[in-house]
Amino acid sequence: MPSDLAWLVVLLPLLAALWIAIKSLTGRGVGEAGERTTERAALWSLAGSLTLLLLIDLQALLTMAPGQLVYGVWLESGTLQVAISFTLDGLGLAMATLVALLCLISLRFSVNYMHRETGFHRFFMVMSLFSGAMLLIVTAGNAVLTFVGWELAGLSSYLLIGYAYERRTATLNATRVFVTNRIGDAGFILGIALAFLWIGGVEWSQLVVAASEQETRLLGVIGLAFLLAAMVKSAQLPFTTWISRALEGPTPSSTIFYGSLMVHAGVYLLLRLEPLFMQVPVLLVLLALVGLSSALYGWLCGLVQVDIKSALIFSTISQVGLMFLECGLGLFQLAAWHLVLHAIWRAYQFLHAPALLQLLDRPQRRAPQWLRRQPRLYTALLQRLWLDSIADWLLLRPTQSLAQDLQDFDRQVVTRMIGLPDETGAVSALAEWRKERGEGRDTVGRGRGMAGRLIEWTATMLYWFEQHLVLQGGGEGLKRAIDLVGHYLQQVEYLLGQPRYLLLLIMATFVVIL
Amino acid sequence: MGILTLLLVLPLFGAALIAALPSDSRQMIRAVALATGLLTLMLAWALLVNFDTASSAMQFYEMHHWNARMGTSFALGIDGFSLPMVLLATLLGFVALLASGGIRQSVKAYYLLMLVLEAAMLGVFMAQDWALFYLFWESTLIPLFFLINRWGGVNRQGASLNFFLYTMGGSVFMLISLLVLFDTLPGHSFAMVELAGAAVELPERTQLLLFLGFLVGFGVKMPIFPMHGWLPLAHVEAPSPVSILLSGILLKMGSYGLVRAAAMLPQGVEALQWILLTLALVSLIYGGLLAWRQSDLKAMIAYSSVSHMGVVLVGIAALNTAGLTGAVMQMVAHGLVAGALFLLIGLLYERTKTRDINDYSSLVRVTPRFAVLTTLAFVAAVGLPGTVGFIAELHAIIGGFERWGWLVLLLSFGVMISAAYAIRTVGRLFTGPVRPRMRHITDLQRGEMLAASVLTAAILLLGFFPAPALRLVSASVAQLSSVFGA
Repeated sequence: MPSDLAWLVVLLPLLAALWIAIKSLTGRGVGEAGERTTERAALWSLAGSLTLLLLIDLQALLTMAPGQLVYGVWLESGTLQVAISFTLDGLGLAMATLVALLCLISLRFSVNYMHRETGFHRFFMVMSLFSGAMLLIVTAGNAVLTFVGWELAGLSSYLLIGYAYERRTATLNATRVFVTNRIGDAGFILGIALAFLWIGGVEWSQLVVAASEQETRLLGVIGLAFLLAAMVKSAQLPFTTWISRALEGPTPSSTIFYGSLMVHAGVYLLLRLEPLFMQVPVLLVLLALVGLSSALYGWLCGLVQVDIKSALIFSTISQVGLMFLECGLGLFQLAAWHLVLHAIWRAYQFLHAPALLQLLDRPQRRAPQWLRRQPRLYTALLQRLWLDSIADWLLLRPTQSLAQDLQDFDRQVVTRMIGLPDETGAVSALAEWRKERGEGRDTVGRGRGMAGRLIEWTATMLYWFEQHLVLQGGGEGLKRAIDLVGHYLQQVEYLLGQPRYLLLLIMATFVVIL
Repeated sequence: MGILTLLLVLPLFGAALIAALPSDSRQMIRAVALATGLLTLMLAWALLVNFDTASSAMQFYEMHHWNARMGTSFALGIDGFSLPMVLLATLLGFVALLASGGIRQSVKAYYLLMLVLEAAMLGVFMAQDWALFYLFWESTLIPLFFLINRWGGVNRQGASLNFFLYTMGGSVFMLISLLVLFDTLPGHSFAMVELAGAAVELPERTQLLLFLGFLVGFGVKMPIFPMHGWLPLAHVEAPSPVSILLSGILLKMGSYGLVRAAAMLPQGVEALQWILLTLALVSLIYGGLLAWRQSDLKAMIAYSSVSHMGVVLVGIAALNTAGLTGAVMQMVAHGLVAGALFLLIGLLYERTKTRDINDYSSLVRVTPRFAVLTTLAFVAAVGLPGTVGFIAELHAIIGGFERWGWLVLLLSFGVMISAAYAIRTVGRLFTGPVRPRMRHITDLQRGEMLAASVLTAAILLLGFFPAPALRLVSASVAQLSSVFGA
């Protein structure tokens, strides 16, 4: 049965990523000459996953979906147990097939798009990693494994936003996006922990069953935690701003990350937890509100955008917002269909975007009449409602100043006490290094700071003790004493050798005997 | 002939073979010595197959009466304390032989003495009769004396004499204790089992005095502060392969003997427990601080040995399962780490002819293989998790904590000092700008690489999978700690 090999679906792209990484690290098959093998590894592994998925799909159509597959225990500690399991029900299979297909298409697109780029191998490595991660998210049988995929996807997103790492904006944006995503991860981890605590397991099937048994209040808290994760990953209000920063990466990666796949991971999480959300009406209302406001926000901001990638991304936000709204209204089935269609459509648009500008020769569509009459609203939308600035003001600056204070404390008090070097201690030139170490001067056994001085002082005392008492007093002294005794004995021996003393000795012996 | 006798005779046979070879056929002599070392190694590791880890009794036991009137016998056997030492001794013996490629003069005598030394060391760990033990104990001195005296550094004469006198002086006390013990007992036998069975009955005061004698004898070898005067000199002056054996195994003979003596005189040890702890902690910190103070690399490693053997003594003094396990593991760990460090620093010295750390810099660019292996050995010396040093120190700390509570914080302090000098040394050796003098050093060659990476691999392997080693010692440790009710 093809479903017995379900684990291969996730493993193949990850192995391809590993292989490309090893290849690059060992310096074999890099540069333009190695592009062929790299792209083949990435494409064929993904094609393998897709074929396997299609076979499982076929099996599901002919008989029935495999459902929950358990391959073993990943980690176990006390009552805590995490299985290596996959959920291949209708939703999981459909999503996985979609993911594999879209990843394959955009990877194939990248072969030409990235040709002769400096980071060609790096790009394909991260894309393979992302494909594996995304497949893991949608096929994993429990929250922990999904979270593994979730984080790997976040990591690959970080790596690709910072693809051109020599540019300052790219690295800044990468960090910003990564840190923003941590908020959602906190929610995800909290959800996992609470599920362990209150439900006793993290298998998706367990969570779904528990939904009908547990108290609404507990379910609400768990649901809220997962909802937070979903909102951040899918860039819903108030976390929308990271996604426009994320467009820094190469176009094919923007396509599958923010256009069509990763941005839908949050919606997938909602779909996975449908029974849980259905039990908690408050959460559904919240979902609907978040979705509606994000949809409006995306639509309005989209109206004033002037470049094609931004316009597309705001339209994505509003579409995903609509999916949240549909979930909030209980139309999960509709949201699933919406997700699939939107993913395919958006992937096409994104990949097409660079060429589109070449093909079109009509001018940019202007913002609608009513909006142009509202200059304040127009400005606000251009500034994206100042969400970024608000976040800066609320979170970033206080954190930074707190960190600054702590660093000052560290530098003024802790460093001096322990005796760490003031700066990083790095020297760049030989001359500086000589000055630092004092060429020719023995700096071993010198301490810095209070603790260092104390140790230095103690060590010097002990050194003196060692030199004078142990080494010279003990070892050398012993030898000297033996030398001295030996000298005297030699004298005695010499005297005994003299005939007169020998005679004397013999006579003395006689005297004693007699 | 039992397998242990075979193990003992094998290096001697190799030595005899070398004696028969003409002295100018260097390649041949080295080949014979290496083959002997390898055979001994394989034979010793083959013991693992039939060794029953569940039993604390002496295994592969064999006994022949030697002098019935004196009560001496030729008795050999191994248990969970001695087997790890035997394995370590054969491993380091082989590595030391591998590392002896730099010896150019009087090759024949050198290899002959090395093999005799290996046989004597194996004898110490396998002897089950105190007279035999003493015999092997003393016979390690003779080859060592010549090895240091003939192939050592500038100050070798002084160092070898000093070493000889110190150790002899110490073993006199051990001999006195042994003779008194022999005399007070009705059985008139030197066999370890019988002596131990009878000594337990002695009054506490007698036991205490007897144990003091053993403590002096073994303490010199270990070494314990303030009986370590011979060690810095001998280690610095000895040729590197001999330093490997000296710090890797010879020091372990002291701690091994102390464990055996503790098993024999339980009340005496318990009365001296606090003194042992104090000596251990003083050695630990004293050795560490002095190592930090040294700019001579070999002297630094020598003092770090004093510090690390302090950890062993803490473990022994704790007299409980965790502590004793920690002691044995630290013996293994220090054997591997000090062996690796002396090996690598010795090879470095051969190339640069300087041991002063101030002369080095930026070797990572010139000699990357050196850098990786030396750094690994140093972090293992600190006891970084993932290395065998961590397993050992953790057990010793747990054992000490069970016995004395927060006092073992001082042990952590010693570990911190060791981190200070280890990281400082790694930084000085490998980082910084390239110096013209250090630009043309050859990296490790194939044979040297093999020797060093075997030790490093063992350090990492035991660090990540300590379970087999722990199982090896568990039965004997449990048996001994049950004597002390912990």
